[in-house]
Amino acid sequence: MNTEKSEIGKGRGGDVIVETVARLMVPFIQLFALYVIIHGAGGPGGGFQGGVIFGASFILLVIAFGIVKAGDRFPEAVNTAFFSLGVYIYAGVGLLCIILSLGVAQYLNYGFIPLTAHFEENRALGMDLVEIGIGITVMAVITSIFFNLVWKREESEEEGGGGEEVQE
Amino acid sequence: MKLISLSALFFVIFLGVLFIYVAEDIPDFGDPYSAPNRYVNLSISMDAAEGEDNLNKGVIPESLMDKIEERRLPLPSRVEPIKEGEWDAIIVPEEAEQDFYPKEQKYYLIKKEGAKLWVYRYAPIIRYIEEGEKETEVPNMVTYILADYRGYDTLGETSVIFTAGVAVILLLRRREKRPEAR
Repeated sequence: MNTEKSEIGKGRGGDVIVETVARLMVPFIQLFALYVIIHGAGGPGGGFQGGVIFGASFILLVIAFGIVKAGDRFPEAVNTAFFSLGVYIYAGVGLLCIILSLGVAQYLNYGFIPLTAHFEENRALGMDLVEIGIGITVMAVITSIFFNLVWKREESEEEGGGGEEVQE
Repeated sequence: MKLISLSALFFVIFLGVLFIYVAEDIPDFGDPYSAPNRYVNLSISMDAAEGEDNLNKGVIPESLMDKIEERRLPLPSRVEPIKEGEWDAIIVPEEAEQDFYPKEQKYYLIKKEGAKLWVYRYAPIIRYIEEGEKETEVPNMVTYILADYRGYDTLGETSVIFTAGVAVILLLRRREKRPEAR
């Protein structure tokens, strides 16, 4: 299909079968990752597992399309912001418990977030929020580690063992 | 050179003696303050003949209460029979209106073995296993322990992953965005 476009990826990709299969599978992998994160309360799953699956979908993108095209789709500045966003959600939910209960509850006691009328259901919903936070952080970190490793490799291949210019 | 190896030998022997001295104090399996099992024996006992009738009526025998108090353990408030020869002793906290405090806690197991009644202490994890779904409305045991009862742990784990990501960025991120550094 888009063999010409994928030439930007410096020889990586360019195979019609790989690109088409990746393009078809990535949305389903991401949907499954969201399912695993949200389903953590009801069955096997949770933030760590779902985040890793979500990160794996971006790794598949890089393998199929090359780092440049995949990097355009998921810019690293946004990724770095996601790093801390997940931890902020987690810590923020914990702090919200203290604030909304006017100092009665402990940190991370989700029952005091008034989402529903029942203490127990509040705890379940608080747990879901926390799992989402974990998922975002894990996804961003997995993706970022892979992107950084691949960029480094690609750079040195391109410049012929480059990195000499950046002496400080 | 000989002095160094001699002092090294002395140091190793010193460490070994220190280790043996410390290891003496490591409690045996079945210590009341560790919880490796479902319940551990507190080595508090009394004759079964006196206590059994009282326990079936829902009264904890005086001598048993005295022995528990002697050990400075929390006193049980009431007793419920589970099956023949086994009773649960339950602690009802005074501040029952506080929602975050456990309302009632299954604390001791009194078990008849031979002609004696032995007092066991339930491991804290038993409450998470038995009451967790009721308290959190989440059927998955792993999730409610990970994200609720052990929420601090998971926050720490998340920050460890965050730190790992930041470290990889610092070490490996490409530097072409900073041309002015040249």
